[in-house]
Amino acid sequence: MKRQFLSVATAAPFLLGVMCLLSLAGCGGSGSSTVTATTVNNTATLTASSGLNGLSGGIVNGLYITVTVCQHGTATCKQIDNVQVDTGSVGLRLVPAALGSVALTPILVNTSPLEECIQYGDTSYSWGPLEFADVQIAGEKALNIPVQLLGQVTAPPPSATQPTAGGVSCLQSTPNSSLPGTPPGNEDTVATLGSNGILGIAGVIFDCGNATACTTVSFTSGFPYYICPNGTCQAVGVPTADQSVNPVSQFASDNNGVMITLPTVASTGAVTVSGTMNFGIATRTDNALGSATIFALDACGDFPTVTFNGISYTDTNCTNSTGGLGGFLDTGSNALFVSDANTLKTFGISDCASGTAGVGFYCVSGGTATLSNINFIGFGGVGSANISLNINNATTLFSTNNAVFNDLGSDSMPGGNPSTDFWDLGMPFFLGRTVFVGIAGTAVPTGVNAPNGFVAF
Amino acid sequence: MSYAKAILSALLVLALGSMPAWAGLGQPEASVTSDQLHMKSEHRVQDFQAYKVHELANTEGAVVREYVSPEGTVFGVTWQGRSTPDMNQLLGNYTNNFQTATRDQTQIRQRRGITIKTNDFVYTNFCRMGVCSGSAYAPKLVPSNVSTGVMR
Repeated sequence: MKRQFLSVATAAPFLLGVMCLLSLAGCGGSGSSTVTATTVNNTATLTASSGLNGLSGGIVNGLYITVTVCQHGTATCKQIDNVQVDTGSVGLRLVPAALGSVALTPILVNTSPLEECIQYGDTSYSWGPLEFADVQIAGEKALNIPVQLLGQVTAPPPSATQPTAGGVSCLQSTPNSSLPGTPPGNEDTVATLGSNGILGIAGVIFDCGNATACTTVSFTSGFPYYICPNGTCQAVGVPTADQSVNPVSQFASDNNGVMITLPTVASTGAVTVSGTMNFGIATRTDNALGSATIFALDACGDFPTVTFNGISYTDTNCTNSTGGLGGFLDTGSNALFVSDANTLKTFGISDCASGTAGVGFYCVSGGTATLSNINFIGFGGVGSANISLNINNATTLFSTNNAVFNDLGSDSMPGGNPSTDFWDLGMPFFLGRTVFVGIAGTAVPTGVNAPNGFVAF
Repeated sequence: MSYAKAILSALLVLALGSMPAWAGLGQPEASVTSDQLHMKSEHRVQDFQAYKVHELANTEGAVVREYVSPEGTVFGVTWQGRSTPDMNQLLGNYTNNFQTATRDQTQIRQRRGITIKTNDFVYTNFCRMGVCSGSAYAPKLVPSNVSTGVMR
């Protein structure tokens, strides 16, 4: 059902977008209009801050949005604020308490609730049931989509030491014991997440990437879907309609990506700033690409090549399983994780010393360092632009009471060889810009040659 | 790039030897066999002047490389794949360094990755949309004439 619906839905906003371009008077919601399908509000408010736990919670550069979650087909809804916006993951995941008394519809496989398990790069994980809900953001609605409720599973997630039948497991590595949660890494409360949940809107439709990879149990390490009858888990392949999904891709219109606009901040940061997220790209006048440069992405959703200061940072990880990741945009990264301190030492950049407030981030001698003429190149040469990034001293930044910084940096990989490094343009990059994140597999704006999806700024 | 090609064209070597209790970082070269069995992977060896690289690759696209000093000790490991590999297996006796790193030594980038830097142990892991990449090494075990940058 969902797949058939999707194929129709992806074509419609594209056509409406063309109509808007031809007839501006009929677009934008006001005035006389026969294009009623595009009159829903497509603009949500974003807030950048330290999140629900404040600075003492250890979060800087968090980006948050309000979503409304309803029991499918009813007006029984809960408006949930402070959901983290993450362009580096896919799917809506919520702390169950944020739903209040709103009950969702469990997804059952062989009469058992469908559970999803994802282990993240810091070894923390999401583990809990997927349930159907109607999700509304601004005026856009995604009906009957799977939403994960974090926690709420009595069985532990399958791990490398306790895999399910066939050796299938989700957690490959025991979570680091310094992580929040009970047990450590099981972040399923506001106290541990710093938010009411995560809205994953990376540039693909399904969180398995290639959805068919999860319609059967096609791999053993890190497989996401399980049922746990009688407290014993087993891996299950699930149809795409049951898989965790990018909610934007399921909107009736404006479903081919997002446009994120955030104001700039002073070099010492700000406590909080507000911005907007417009749904759809080039589907109506308020999300037009304008003069933005469009970059096609490679099969891994990355810029295949970034060059800086005579060094080429290429996404050989995608092609050869070795080396770096090129470059990418990620609101879920709290800093500019770029190059490494050894390579950037001629700019006065170093890793902040142990025991200083900025440990783990870049420190800078002699004030803010400016890295100019960083060339980002798209897949197949589609898109190329030089950008400039400022890096400030993290220990100085953290001595303020600010939480939003456009110049917080860190190593991409410690070790000092650019061949493993990459350019992760995290939250600081989005401040003072309008950035478009397209969804691969949805309608592409006219003239864009991007088989694996695109970004634009 | 040429290095990557050299690795790919390296000869497939039959792995022999006993299986120690712990494999991975800080362990003898022979422990690589244990990791190979754990990963159910193919095993290739590339010889360089100052170190050796054992590359383990399994059918799901996961690749682990173990860097061995002339004295026969694993001084670093790197990994790439859909998920972060089993650290208990790869970090050997350094598993505890990973598990007990304090907040002062640990930089967490909001779930996406983690970096640990101490005098004895440097670790980083990063995952993004089904692609994980990371490395760990023991600075005191890295041969003096080898740059940590060779680990990729």
